[in-house]
Amino acid sequence: MEVTLGLLDQIPAIDDGGGVPSGGSTTMRSILTGSKSKEDNKNTMVVSTEATSSYPVVVDESLDGLELGLGLSLGGGGGGLKSKTVVTGGWSQYARILTAKDFPTTLVSKPNSCSSSSSVNIPNSSTSGNKRTATDSVSPPNGTSVVGWPPVSKAHRMPNLASQMKSPTENFISKSEQNKSKNRTVGIKDYSDERNGITNKKYRSVKVNMDGTLIGRKVDLNAHTSYEMLAQTLHEMFFSKWPSKEAVKPSRLLDGTSEFVLTYEDKDGDCMLVGDVPWEMFISSVKRLRIMKNSESNELASRCEENSDRYRD
Amino acid sequence: MDPTPSSLPEDFLKRTFSLLTSDTDHNSVSLVCKHWYTAERLTRRHVSIRNCYSVSPEILTARFPAIRSVTLKGKPRFSDFNLVPDDWGADVQPWLNAFATAYPCLEEVRLKRMVVSDESLEFLALNFDEFKCLSLLSCEGFSTLGLEAIATYCKNLTELDIQENGIDDLGGDWLSYFPENLTSLEVLNFSTLTSEVSFDALESLVSRCKSLRVLKVNRKVNLEQLKRLLVLAPQLTELGMGSFMEELVSSSVNGLEEAFSKCGNLVTLSGFWDATLLHLPAVYPVCGNLTFLNLSYANIGPDELEQILARSKRLVRLWVVDTVGDKGLEAVGSHCPLLEELRVFPVDPFDQKLGVTDSGLVAVSKGCPKLHYILYFCQRMTNAAVITVAENCPNFTHFRLCIMNPREPDYLTNEPMDEAFGAIVKTCTKLQRLSVSGLLTDLAFEYIGKYAKNLETLSVAFAGSSNLGMEYVMRGCPKLKRVEIRDCPFGDSALLSGLTQYESMRSLWMSDCNVTMDGCKKLAEEMSRLNVEVIKDEGDDDQVASKVYVYQTVAGPRKDAPPFVVTL
Repeated sequence: MEVTLGLLDQIPAIDDGGGVPSGGSTTMRSILTGSKSKEDNKNTMVVSTEATSSYPVVVDESLDGLELGLGLSLGGGGGGLKSKTVVTGGWSQYARILTAKDFPTTLVSKPNSCSSSSSVNIPNSSTSGNKRTATDSVSPPNGTSVVGWPPVSKAHRMPNLASQMKSPTENFISKSEQNKSKNRTVGIKDYSDERNGITNKKYRSVKVNMDGTLIGRKVDLNAHTSYEMLAQTLHEMFFSKWPSKEAVKPSRLLDGTSEFVLTYEDKDGDCMLVGDVPWEMFISSVKRLRIMKNSESNELASRCEENSDRYRD
Repeated sequence: MDPTPSSLPEDFLKRTFSLLTSDTDHNSVSLVCKHWYTAERLTRRHVSIRNCYSVSPEILTARFPAIRSVTLKGKPRFSDFNLVPDDWGADVQPWLNAFATAYPCLEEVRLKRMVVSDESLEFLALNFDEFKCLSLLSCEGFSTLGLEAIATYCKNLTELDIQENGIDDLGGDWLSYFPENLTSLEVLNFSTLTSEVSFDALESLVSRCKSLRVLKVNRKVNLEQLKRLLVLAPQLTELGMGSFMEELVSSSVNGLEEAFSKCGNLVTLSGFWDATLLHLPAVYPVCGNLTFLNLSYANIGPDELEQILARSKRLVRLWVVDTVGDKGLEAVGSHCPLLEELRVFPVDPFDQKLGVTDSGLVAVSKGCPKLHYILYFCQRMTNAAVITVAENCPNFTHFRLCIMNPREPDYLTNEPMDEAFGAIVKTCTKLQRLSVSGLLTDLAFEYIGKYAKNLETLSVAFAGSSNLGMEYVMRGCPKLKRVEIRDCPFGDSALLSGLTQYESMRSLWMSDCNVTMDGCKKLAEEMSRLNVEVIKDEGDDDQVASKVYVYQTVAGPRKDAPPFVVTL
């Protein structure tokens, strides 16, 4: 049966720029103004949602364009979509409304996948059991949006989309109103941040193994902006306890003059020397790092050349 | 002269106490007299610390020198729902540091809602030669690198159980780090990891660990691979399957069905990702023996469910997704007379499509009189239905009803859901755990305070009309251990009404209620052996105490509190 979960989790508040995933992907913003809840007007909430374009990976392709369209038209708190269902709906509602003419209701499952139900907080491809991506990203039926509600624990937010889900964005949700109207329109930071390596954009860790040590380490590539920084970090990680630091100064890791050489495995599985390509290109293709002994690297280099020759034909 | 407790020889006492298995018994004997206290503390092997800040590692190791097994729980439960900020605490490393000196023979560590780094896992693997069991439930902060360390260095590992964690999955090759000569594994659960593990390594591991009884693989393991594993381990008692997605043809399934038919000891089955009627029949051979069936990852419908249940007459525990609908629950009521626990999870809490409703719940209660544990997520409910359920099943110990729209009334009468929970607490005198939802006034809490005399755990959200609500409960329920409240109109006087209770409780959580800093300060002043912690949100003004966590402790205020946690 088709997976039916929405994955839009994280919703940054519009007025608080912090934590919004940076980066090149196209993002779709919309603001859903919470409607008044049925029983009283104490629950006005403003929820702003943002989804990275990786969302569409999860969502059926035919809805891609639709999502963007949704974004725009949702601008005024559901804008012209004034029907009852809109007001009560989360993403799924909007999606359904717009697609009602074009899609039969049997496709309800697809819109669901873009409903930002937080309940679907699923482990994406790089993490599992993600508790951080919220349960709370979208307006539940009465238009209010609440952190951590319904209280579905991470294990039971359907992991069906685990393999498809790329990067939940960060979530800002404003708190629900209490008896006093606090008028919190600023979203509180939903502390479900991605320190556990959930998104591609914010935190990207790769393994680093050094020849001679059994257990590797991990390093967050997104926390570095240059090769020099990376070398510095690796130096601290692996060589800080070494007595004679001269032999393994960070810079020498890069220039090949120390007895160790920094190499990486790219997404094609090839073994490459770190430092040859521009930084951005490097981080987009690196899969794991290896600190190799210089003697071995020469051997490896010739093997690599052989391999690439083979593929060239 | 009759021997008094304190005159019995210490050796005798120690031998006797070392035979005690329950923590409660241990606690009781330690209170008899000083002599017994001493004998008991020297023999205790297992300790369970349900709030890691209620005691310090130093105090623990000073009192109990012979511990071999520790269970530690950290963050408040509402951290599962993102209500607790990151960096709040619950780091396991200080404990491990103390254990390394005091308990070098430590064998088992079970952690829940703790922060565990890779370095901590490596530390654990390297410092405890006898280490056997690691269980991590809802923990975070580590990656598969930590698992590599465990696999590499723990020569006597019998249990590795990783569930529901915030883990940085850097790839599946951690499994290949188990050395060839490791044959002691009995429990292996990596079902919530997302990367593909090396199947060869897994197969080899399963093949050489003849005592393996629990195996729960992740979704990346397909049916063909599962079959191969089953052939190697027909002795399994618990199996978590991988993905059922298989375009493959019948030959694979027949092989699987045959493999299952050799697994005479299987009593628990889970996994079932992507299950459909095409391949589900493979499990039919074992259904007859199953006592626990976990279908919470399978979006199956009522028909598939019925097919399985019709063959699973011995089921005691069942977890399903609400895609089975009320019709599926009717099947539960018809086929599972021995059922004691049912959990129904929502496939999508914000989907307007109705999953299960009041009629499903009633159907189950009619057919399953032994039901005592329910966790039920639904869009709507009625008082009448819950009243009927209480009549049908008066033995509830755990009643957790989650009507997913906050403050949702009885959808037929539009009244609050007070009578529903009133009926539960009146009828179910053994009730230990209650989660309420829907539109509730103070009346519901009056009922709880009046009738729920055995209640230990209470979870409340978006409920109540005034301070009275919480006051009824805090004054009326003598056995409370853990109370968690969010988004309710309870203020300082409600908070203070629990003064006499808090020291015998494990903890109280209140978030987004009407509690102020003054109220918290007053509480802190009155009760010295409590930690009253306020978690400040950015943008909170000074008087607001938006998140309050109160717990009894002998360790004094936290030394590792982050700046946003203020202890009063």
